[in-house]
Amino acid sequence: MKQSKDPFEAALEEQEESPPDSPVGEDELNSQTPNEAQNQTDGGQNILVDDDDDDYDDLGPTIKNPSHPSSSSTPKLHSTSVNASVAAAVINKNKEYDDDEEEENVDVELSKFPSSADPTKMAKMQAILSQFTEDQMSRYESFRRSALQKSNMRRLLVSITGSQKISLPMTIVVCGIAKMFVGELVEKARMVMTERKESGPIRPCHIREAYRRLKLEGKVPKRSVQRLFR
Amino acid sequence: MSNPSTGASSKSKLGSSQPSETSFKRKRGVFQKDLQHMMYGFGDDPNPLPETVALVEDIVVEYVTDLAHKAQDIGSKRGKLSVEDFLYLIRKDLPKLNRCTELLSMQEELKQARKAFEVDEEKLGTLE
Repeated sequence: MKQSKDPFEAALEEQEESPPDSPVGEDELNSQTPNEAQNQTDGGQNILVDDDDDDYDDLGPTIKNPSHPSSSSTPKLHSTSVNASVAAAVINKNKEYDDDEEEENVDVELSKFPSSADPTKMAKMQAILSQFTEDQMSRYESFRRSALQKSNMRRLLVSITGSQKISLPMTIVVCGIAKMFVGELVEKARMVMTERKESGPIRPCHIREAYRRLKLEGKVPKRSVQRLFR
Repeated sequence: MSNPSTGASSKSKLGSSQPSETSFKRKRGVFQKDLQHMMYGFGDDPNPLPETVALVEDIVVEYVTDLAHKAQDIGSKRGKLSVEDFLYLIRKDLPKLNRCTELLSMQEELKQARKAFEVDEEKLGTLE
């Protein structure tokens, strides 16, 4: 098992790994009122269950749950406790999140640190994150939490390949690849904008130029068959 | 538009029971909401221009399509499509490859954790 987990990355992956029929996975960026209600009304064991879903999504749980039973048994809760500890610092800095799930009740066990996680890396991240401005923090949060929906990706892959058997790991991998590709596009578009000394929101012309440059660099797979009629 | 390597294009699909799902007629805005957040995270404005988002979505869909077709070409030699084919395709791109291996290992880990968690739940249930 890979133990060198960045707590925020753990949060992000946990969000991506939420089971397909879990409503939280899909609604990750939308309002979470059903989950919130669920969390606040349930007690004891139910909160334990809800922690599964919420920990997948939350960048950081906010509220301690003193009535929480032995939560030290599972490794997953270890990682979520790391999320809690780091996110507690995060939430002190930035109270305004776009997503409602930041305010949800998730168990926080500050004492349990996964000792096998990369401590220097964690310390570095903590140091950097503590110095973020509000703007930077919200952007970083968007970066970590955004993802393409697995269901949509799966539908796209099924329609492309013609085969119904698209495994979950495949969907996850393609979502990850696509997200990084979007990142490359946007970053290159920003570079293009600074070269042209323009500012403001990114315009399609910048994206097209960025795409052209990526093609020249060979980062975009070339079509073996020309797409003649779109 | 014909693609000799696969029988189905992205616009039409045969042999499936749900016509609404199969005819993936490139609906606008499939990824739009997610893409807006993602683009903000990567450096765009908090409210990206809609035409930019639409263009990025088109590019991403085309990228995934090309990637999937290439993976299918590779996978057909082996028999069926698998994750390994995608990993092979991005082998040159180190950040992507590392990220994907990380995602896969995290998924395994979470699967194990979930299994262990369910066992604990049962134990807790019997205790109480």
